Amino acid sequence: MSFHPKMAYDASFHKSGRTLTEAGEPFAYTPENTARFESIVVRYPADRRRSAVLPALYLVQYQQGHVTANAMRYVADLLGITAADVEDVVSYYTMFHTKPVGTFVINVCRTLPCALNGAERVTEEICGKLGIKPGETDPSGTFTVVEVECLGACDRAPVVMVNDAWHECLSPEDASKLLDDLRARGEAALSGCHHVVESRRL
Amino acid sequence: MDTVTLTIDGRPVKVEKGRTVLQAAIESGIEIPYYCYHPGIGVDGSCRVCIVKIEKMPKLQTSCSTICGDGMVVSTRTADVVAARAGVFELLLINHPLDCPVCDKGGECPLQDFSYAFGPDQSRMEFPRRTFDGEGVKADVDFGPTLMLNRNRCILCTRCVRFMRDVEGDAQINVIDRGYGSEIATFQEEGVHSLLSGNLMDVCPVGAITTRDYRFKSRPWDNPDAADTICTLCSKGCNTTAWIKAKPEWAKGSRLIRFTPRFNPTVNGYWMCDIGRFEYHWIESDDRLRVPLARVGGVERPIAWHDLLPQVADRLAAAGATSPGSVRFLLSAHASNEELFLFKRLAEHLDLERRLSTLDRERVEPEDVVTVSWRHTKKTQPARTKFVVPAVDAPNVNGARALGLAPGAPGSPQGPADVSALRSAVEAGRVSALYVFDPGPDGSLGDTRWIVDARASGALGLLVVHGVLLTAVARAADFVLPGASFVEKEASYTNDRGRLQGTARAIPLPGEAVEDWRILVKLCSALGVPIECDTFESAADVRGAIAACFPDVTGLAGLATLAFNAPAPADHWLQASNPSERWKWDVMFQDLPPVKGSVDPSALPPPPGVIPLRAIK
Repeated sequence: MSFHPKMAYDASFHKSGRTLTEAGEPFAYTPENTARFESIVVRYPADRRRSAVLPALYLVQYQQGHVTANAMRYVADLLGITAADVEDVVSYYTMFHTKPVGTFVINVCRTLPCALNGAERVTEEICGKLGIKPGETDPSGTFTVVEVECLGACDRAPVVMVNDAWHECLSPEDASKLLDDLRARGEAALSGCHHVVESRRL
Repeated sequence: MDTVTLTIDGRPVKVEKGRTVLQAAIESGIEIPYYCYHPGIGVDGSCRVCIVKIEKMPKLQTSCSTICGDGMVVSTRTADVVAARAGVFELLLINHPLDCPVCDKGGECPLQDFSYAFGPDQSRMEFPRRTFDGEGVKADVDFGPTLMLNRNRCILCTRCVRFMRDVEGDAQINVIDRGYGSEIATFQEEGVHSLLSGNLMDVCPVGAITTRDYRFKSRPWDNPDAADTICTLCSKGCNTTAWIKAKPEWAKGSRLIRFTPRFNPTVNGYWMCDIGRFEYHWIESDDRLRVPLARVGGVERPIAWHDLLPQVADRLAAAGATSPGSVRFLLSAHASNEELFLFKRLAEHLDLERRLSTLDRERVEPEDVVTVSWRHTKKTQPARTKFVVPAVDAPNVNGARALGLAPGAPGSPQGPADVSALRSAVEAGRVSALYVFDPGPDGSLGDTRWIVDARASGALGLLVVHGVLLTAVARAADFVLPGASFVEKEASYTNDRGRLQGTARAIPLPGEAVEDWRILVKLCSALGVPIECDTFESAADVRGAIAACFPDVTGLAGLATLAFNAPAPADHWLQASNPSERWKWDVMFQDLPPVKGSVDPSALPPPPGVIPLRAIK
């Protein structure tokens, strides 16, 4: 804040309609996550700590499920950049959630190969079964359905990513079974999937 | 200097090695449009309108990011370049609203100018435009205490992002979201809080960022004159342009409509701070002194100059005759070199009179009775900023040092002013008359409460205030002499690095106010000061006298020949445009038809082999 003695500024007057991120509780890494962050940040040159912004934000998301404004500030302070720089990254990548999400985030690919192989029907089946629209979380807080662009497994389209695990060659019936399985067995249902994304081992 | 020679539009161009094709074209007066490039904040390559054809390169290249090579053959007006460039302009205008009549940038907008000159004559866009916060001015939202933002108008050149990151040093603005939803934003709409925020309006090539101070107050064609001057609100001495609105003298409102920075690589680059940009309203405020005042029966009443000056002279002479140092001067470092010099002469003379009349041999030097004061406020800025606003809120501390009126050598670091000696003398009642000179904004003299207190307690017999505003000190004075502010006189100042610069006379003086050097010369005459006073016809004569008395003094060299600017008509259709890029208008578009002016475009031969620009019907 600086020297603007005579400039009228009523922040409520011409407010932007942009949806702001919830401030959330004051944020700090747990001791384990602090240790993980320290082991990540040494991979980058000391004057380029900002390069660690993506893994730092993933740690936030592992810790509390979504990224709040306070968490963005926390990450900015850790890396020596501004909160605006962090918000830039968070808003760019669809894999960062700025609102609370369900235990399982179901990302359905809708890019061309998946679309040709019936990704829309997979989305319809999942949404119909949960009674929600893409982008929403079901009332029990278990599932969030998101339509995303290419997940990089076009040879086995259509593909769905649940949290960090890919499920390939999915028909609407498979998707329905997957939901039941996730409900019944929780995390364990993800173990039978075709591929686990490396970031799990961050 | 290593140079390379390349050919642009059939014209051989020789430039310094390492320059880009765009810079080479600008230097040689060849028109290439651009938005994201700015000489002060570097290359980004995001707007794509500066594309040119370079032989032996596979595709059209962005000239802003291509370094000149020896023997390069560049064309800027071949059919494929013209068509591709028009295509880029068509895309830029897909989402940009075409409501220039309600946009604050209209008339000085690079997007308007370049689309007119280089873009297609119609758009094929049939779908509704993307809007963020409504249409037209409804989309203007808060962007911090000084700015407003209209996201619909933004073309995402990211100049503001790079200005904040590279120049201001605190990246408060960023592009959020992606692709079609990309927009300029601050973190959680907190707004831009910076001492340099006004520059964002300058760098914005569209009407997306506007200043609360200037928006909708005037149009470029309502400001027919502009005076190149300097800012005197701190010791940096930024080179600025004062914009003057056309208005009859009797009409209400101010004539001074805005200040914008003027490029000077050795002082301020392309930038200026918000204090200089927005703190000018005091010049034409209601508190401005317009007539001389004299205290009659405890009340300050207007008085004519020819009645006032003999009274002031008599009272000063009487007070000065009592004891050594009984008349003291408190001068603001807003005083120019001319005024400081005349005050020094005045102090010398008063002491001489006293010695003659009392046969006292004790000599008092001017520096013992003249105290120069200034306000010293540390400005909060990011540690990495490239534009540091100095702490001293006065332009001429170094001038006072060069004239021997303030301690320290010209050019050495400037700390807070020390008025404790004068203050204790006044509070002890050893001063019978105090002459305060303050031609700056209220408060720039530093703390003056003690003067008012000394008057109230009766410790100070005579208080003469010579200045521009009816401040608390002026309200306590016996005599008030209305002077000139820095935009109303030609005066010279020596900045914190010892650089001598002059202000321009941009607007006339209000009411019966008189230029300060003239007041002092008349006062000297009334006192019978045996200096060249009577021969001074203008401020230039005063400067000549200073140059004769102080030859080769650091900070005053070149004073006698210092050139001053005057308001110049901004009548070329592009001269009044984006001020931080004014140099561009001076070299570009010279063969396009001016709206006003006398250049006949058909009289200018086009370069050989080029496709002429679209004829304007």
